[in-house]
Amino acid sequence: MSAEAGRFVMDGQRLPYEPGDTVAMAVVRAGEHPLHGGTLCLAGDCGNCVAEVDGIAWVRTCLTPASADLEVRRHPASGPPPWRPPADEARHVAVRRLETDLVVVGGGESGRAALAEAERAGRDVMLLDAGDGTEVVAIYAGPTVIARTPAGMLHLRAKEVVVATGAAEIQPVCPGNRLMGLLTAQAAQRLHAAGVDLGVAVAVGEPADGVPCTALPGELVRIEGEGRVSAVVTAQDGNETTTPCQTVILGLGRAPRDVLSRMANDLPVRVVGSAAATFPLPPAPTAGIVCPCAGVGVDDLEGVWARGFNELELVKRASLAGTGTCQGSVCLPHVRAWIAARTGQAPEPFTARPASRQITLAEAAADLHIDAFRRTSLHDEHVALGAQMDRFGGWWRPWHYGDHLAEYRAVREAVSLGDVSTLGKFVVSGPDALAFLQRLYPTDVATIRTGRSRYALLLNERGHVIDDGMICREADDRFVLTFTTGGAGNAEMWMRDWIETWGLRVLLLDRTMSLAAINVTGPRAAELLARVGLAEPPRFLQHVHVELAGMPCHVMRLSFTGEASFEIHHPIDRSTDLWRGLMAVGKDLGIRPHGLQALFALRLEKGHVIIGMDTELDTTPRRLGMDWAVNMDKPDFIGREALARTAALPDRRRLVGLTMAGAAPTEGSPIWSDGDVIGHVTSSFTSPTLGRAVMLGWLKRAPFPEQVEIDRRPAHVAAPPFYDPEGLRARA
Amino acid sequence: MRAPDRLHGFRVVASPQALDRLTWPDGSVTLRLAPDDLFVVGPGTFAKAGEPAIVEQEAGFVGWWLTLEELHEHVLEHVDWPLPASRPALAQGLIAGVPAKLWLTLDRALLLCPAAYAHELEARLP
Repeated sequence: MSAEAGRFVMDGQRLPYEPGDTVAMAVVRAGEHPLHGGTLCLAGDCGNCVAEVDGIAWVRTCLTPASADLEVRRHPASGPPPWRPPADEARHVAVRRLETDLVVVGGGESGRAALAEAERAGRDVMLLDAGDGTEVVAIYAGPTVIARTPAGMLHLRAKEVVVATGAAEIQPVCPGNRLMGLLTAQAAQRLHAAGVDLGVAVAVGEPADGVPCTALPGELVRIEGEGRVSAVVTAQDGNETTTPCQTVILGLGRAPRDVLSRMANDLPVRVVGSAAATFPLPPAPTAGIVCPCAGVGVDDLEGVWARGFNELELVKRASLAGTGTCQGSVCLPHVRAWIAARTGQAPEPFTARPASRQITLAEAAADLHIDAFRRTSLHDEHVALGAQMDRFGGWWRPWHYGDHLAEYRAVREAVSLGDVSTLGKFVVSGPDALAFLQRLYPTDVATIRTGRSRYALLLNERGHVIDDGMICREADDRFVLTFTTGGAGNAEMWMRDWIETWGLRVLLLDRTMSLAAINVTGPRAAELLARVGLAEPPRFLQHVHVELAGMPCHVMRLSFTGEASFEIHHPIDRSTDLWRGLMAVGKDLGIRPHGLQALFALRLEKGHVIIGMDTELDTTPRRLGMDWAVNMDKPDFIGREALARTAALPDRRRLVGLTMAGAAPTEGSPIWSDGDVIGHVTSSFTSPTLGRAVMLGWLKRAPFPEQVEIDRRPAHVAAPPFYDPEGLRARA
Repeated sequence: MRAPDRLHGFRVVASPQALDRLTWPDGSVTLRLAPDDLFVVGPGTFAKAGEPAIVEQEAGFVGWWLTLEELHEHVLEHVDWPLPASRPALAQGLIAGVPAKLWLTLDRALLLCPAAYAHELEARLP
């Protein structure tokens, strides 16, 4: 609280305040209202005093000390405040994390008693009280208490939480309850104590001790006035009385201030004192605004009730009562009373959800970080070469280096480098390694000889394809596996889970972020590698450990691009040397790097699928036309039972190759047949080599047609590969 | 945060019992990443002796050696999980949203993460 009087700016006008004033008190002292109308509690319970303070909207001005440097703008009388982009940089909000045995929320009598009891028991305890500037806004699992403090956010992990937040005063629901000049009894006491002149004041209900006013008998009927209260109408024994006044003081009872405990179901949270007390509900409202925060009236409640939302949580969702600024502090007792009048039973209070107070996005995100994306050891090299980097599968990868068609041609006609360091790379070893892989994969791993490798699908128990990659056998009991960039993390969990489930003696080491990998591909790839020491290149699907450019490398001969390809796995800290060395000795061969855009096109010409891009969650090998990757003669592997069970069933889905004249349609384009959409395109490319568009796409209606329409043009179903169907170039 | 140093060493994957039996010279930084996974920071190697094991040179991590003051100033605000009480100890989890590890001794700490994430940690720690 300010120790001296002064002035702050509200709506462009300088407004005086007295020592100890909050903003709301100073506004009332000046004869104004922070929100143009509505009952003021001055205790932080309602949303009737919220305003924009120093650029932050929805601030409770009754809890904001007045000071000379404040700029206050009142929200509009109806509707949300206008959006204004922040004038400064994003506000950094610090987070302090503490741990304790017990947290007590609320420094009143009950809270202090809980504190003393815990201290006597020798417990490590912290008391958080809004009066001290520590405003608890949420309780999460843990339990973890989230509080806003002047120094930033406090995240407090505790074994137990005691909620001792007291009770809030009931606000009136009747015609006229949005006028200025309405105060709860405690608000009136605070203003009177601060020397604020309340004018001609009358009190309805329980009187406010010490506040000069005329106590009116009877029940509140309505409040009259234009903008500001001019009279109050009460009823007693069926007779209405109209009493002229300037202020109406309302002592209508109390309700537990238990929002924090209502968001902490099943957590070790204890509610004490008035927050745990049972108070009588107010009379069921018959007219007026029930939820001032969301502008919900009694007629709105009647409307949702008539539509069948006959339960408190449903009434809340359908009407939005209780979803606004005060999170039901004002309206919950009235809505419960309103439902009780219809059902004969008061419903339990609705669940509360964090945050119980308006917090800024900076406060909510104070401990959050955007996803971390990995960089390969060649990242700077790609950037220096002019690559446009993009995020794929949790990594930054080069999309292209300025001319994806030139990169495509380098692969088809000369030699090119691709950074494939992001592929999942695992070593599997141990006495049961082979037995493990036999059960993991649908291919017969036992027939892979040492020094050879094989492409393999990874299936789940339902026979659905979850990943793919290579199996390289290095010894009887040692294998190197590769997986897709985006699938490596799941593959590791998958393998560890099954190793444990099956109780096998298998050792597994993830080398994904320990090894870099460069794919050397193109008709002159072997020529290039000979220049850095690969005298005898491995044949197709062979792999060798050799020293290249002075470093130990694992060279795998395979092909995703359709050309001869050598995937060189090597130490991550030597990757730049290898890349630069290859680029240097390949200049006269027409070498250039290729990005993902070119790679996706190259593999599409070969009809190679990309898991996750061309596949769906329930894609089986049959639907991909890849039954050849499954050996049903094996006695057991993950997915075998499902594949055996479904093999005889009709299947109306198939991933097919498609071609058409002209430019390729956009990926995702619908595939039409006889006027119906029967599928969509998953990958597409206008092939300069083939002179037509090539695609992969799903057909989801049997019998599968040979002719379809895409982009209002005829397209033909054609079995891939579209390029080098005999695979001679990859094996060259 | 200053640029990190690459951590050279080797990984040994073997049964937990086999790893428990290994001994190392005083001062060795041996990080038990998992019950069956050991990262030994520094030069050297490990000869397999009967027990099944995967032994590989490891250069995939980078690290920052920090004084305890630096640890408190730069790192701990971004750790929202409880640190172990004993020393030395290895703690692992997200630090400023980045998968990382802390090797905590009585007088200093090693903050390490896969090199692929180093740029994120450098940017996120003050």
